[in-house]
Amino acid sequence: MTGSGTSEREQNFPALLERLRPECEQLVARYERKRSALLPICHLFQLHEGFVSKEAMRAAASMLDLTPAEVEGTVSFYTLFFRRPVGKYVLQVCRGLACSINGAEDLMAYFREKLGVGHLQTTADGTFSYEEVECLAACDRATCMQVNLEFVYDLTPQKIDEMLAAMRAGTYATSPMAQTEAPAATWSVPQDDQVATGRKSSGALGQPSPNNAGGVGDESGIIMLDRILAGDVGFYERTSERAVRDSRAVTEVVEAEKNGGNGASH
Amino acid sequence: MAQVTKVLTAGIGEANLRDIGVYRERGGYKQWQRAIRELQPADVLDLCDKSGLRGRGGAGFPTGRKWQFLPKDKALRYLVCNCDEAEPGTFKDHMLLEEAPHLVLEGILLGSYAIACHHAYIYIRGEFKRGYEIFCAAIEEARAAGYLGKNVFGSEFDIEVTAHRGAGAYICGEETALLNSLEGKRGEPRLKPPFPAVAGLYGAPTVVNNVETLAYLVPILEKGAQWFAAVGTERSKGYKIISISGHVQKPGNYEVPLGTTVRELIDIAGGLRPGRTLAAVQPGGGSSACIFEEHLDLPYDYENMAKAGSMLGSGAFVVFDDTTDFVKAAHNLVRFFAHESCGQCTPCREGGHWMERVLERLVHNRGVPGDLEMLDRVSATITGINLCPLGDSIEPFLKSVLRRFHDQFAERILREETLPA
Repeated sequence: MTGSGTSEREQNFPALLERLRPECEQLVARYERKRSALLPICHLFQLHEGFVSKEAMRAAASMLDLTPAEVEGTVSFYTLFFRRPVGKYVLQVCRGLACSINGAEDLMAYFREKLGVGHLQTTADGTFSYEEVECLAACDRATCMQVNLEFVYDLTPQKIDEMLAAMRAGTYATSPMAQTEAPAATWSVPQDDQVATGRKSSGALGQPSPNNAGGVGDESGIIMLDRILAGDVGFYERTSERAVRDSRAVTEVVEAEKNGGNGASH
Repeated sequence: MAQVTKVLTAGIGEANLRDIGVYRERGGYKQWQRAIRELQPADVLDLCDKSGLRGRGGAGFPTGRKWQFLPKDKALRYLVCNCDEAEPGTFKDHMLLEEAPHLVLEGILLGSYAIACHHAYIYIRGEFKRGYEIFCAAIEEARAAGYLGKNVFGSEFDIEVTAHRGAGAYICGEETALLNSLEGKRGEPRLKPPFPAVAGLYGAPTVVNNVETLAYLVPILEKGAQWFAAVGTERSKGYKIISISGHVQKPGNYEVPLGTTVRELIDIAGGLRPGRTLAAVQPGGGSSACIFEEHLDLPYDYENMAKAGSMLGSGAFVVFDDTTDFVKAAHNLVRFFAHESCGQCTPCREGGHWMERVLERLVHNRGVPGDLEMLDRVSATITGINLCPLGDSIEPFLKSVLRRFHDQFAERILREETLPA
């Protein structure tokens, strides 16, 4: 929850949930296991709220007999789920190789200049969110992009100008995203920022590591990689070793539960 | 000059195949009806096996044999159609989904019948929102026409098809990651074995087939296994949609017999731009190594691409002319794999970002002595020790262009005297 008061969106959430519940139940019924409906339910909430809010994740968890942590852990894996509010038009420009060798870099620079924001950022007026995304599978019509997931092909600066003007004027053909809360400067959460800048598993140089994984840019990671390269550290038959270990772990937990649920006593 | 042969692509761009009526006028759903009325599941499987059809998603595994891996003693099994097309340079499934949804659906139905599956799923890439909507509409049209649901064509056969949309993750194209995502989990690849044929969706035996693979079942049933097997090369049978892009004049999806030469493919796509010469071709998507001028007359099939040190993959054929900056291209693809790593395996998760950063230095002419050797060592180190093929996909393109265009890389290294103290 944000601050002391509750936002208008939060106040409206219970009513939205009741309105969407039948549709959620239909989605659940499409699958043989409940949890499979998690992605479709999140798509549905994002359609109505413009992003997948904490309330939506909690509601999904309760409908699917999951914990909110399981839901957030899943949602955070997927780049198309926004966990923070975004602009009315999410502009996702393809930076894939086929687009790149056909001039995508110039067009991305053009976008950044026209919008005044960069990768993963939202304009101050809340109209545009801008992202440079991986190959969109439309390489024959490079350079391409998506606006709120609708494809736009064969981009040119002129096409971009017309598009942005139409969006500002509210006359653009693709409907805007639902906007139930004002977006901040970026919709990515701290861990995602690191993904975006290539510091996925640990902190940037000189910054505390959020999960002490010892990854790129982290001193312990550099030491580890040097050791791997020098051949000091070998990789064993990871697959079978882990399979044995994992299956034993499962048995241990099951056994422990049978013996009175005290799993920590080993 | 080689011929483009329109089989799956017939009618695309000419007729509105999204309309079930139009699709039916062109013979649509006839094979589905014939399969139910006249053929046993084993007959369909046999036809597929005899046709020599191999998986069109990337691995090229014989489809009939894949189906035969399903344990015979388990009645519950699933067919999952993989439409998570995201391999850089591939755009054929995107086209089939949007332009020929009923053909894809008929293929799914035939595949389901062959393996006696009663609930099939299609996993559609999250970005294909429009394609998902089109496909859902096609399912409803087919349901209304009685082609799916209970007792199809008055038979004992029940079949349900559910479309499932992803939410942005390249890794979900890997079949076990796809199954996890379909189960509502993070799209992380599973430990194999067990393979999906033994324990797949919800722990039941499962076959995962690509969109194009399943769509080919329709013409194979119509025209016979021999018709398909007569085309192509010795071990790469039939037709394939090749997504040709990059520096050609007419990029697009071209359906050709396997074994068409690399040179012919470039010509089919309109050739290079005037005054340009060929630098390289990436013949099998972002995961594949480049081939060069000396490979132009090779037949484009699974075996010859492997022999040339690359692969046919999903049929993504990206052409690079002499204007290409291969340092930037390598940085682009390494960044892609680093971004798409699910993070489970340390070599892939860390190695990808490591290499991306080294390449970023090079792109900005700030390489330091030893960088190229480091790229070689790191890419070799991280290959072959990951759960899934993503980590192993980083090396091939980089290695091939680093060797061939070594000067482009070497000139980005700062000389000793210009290095910061």
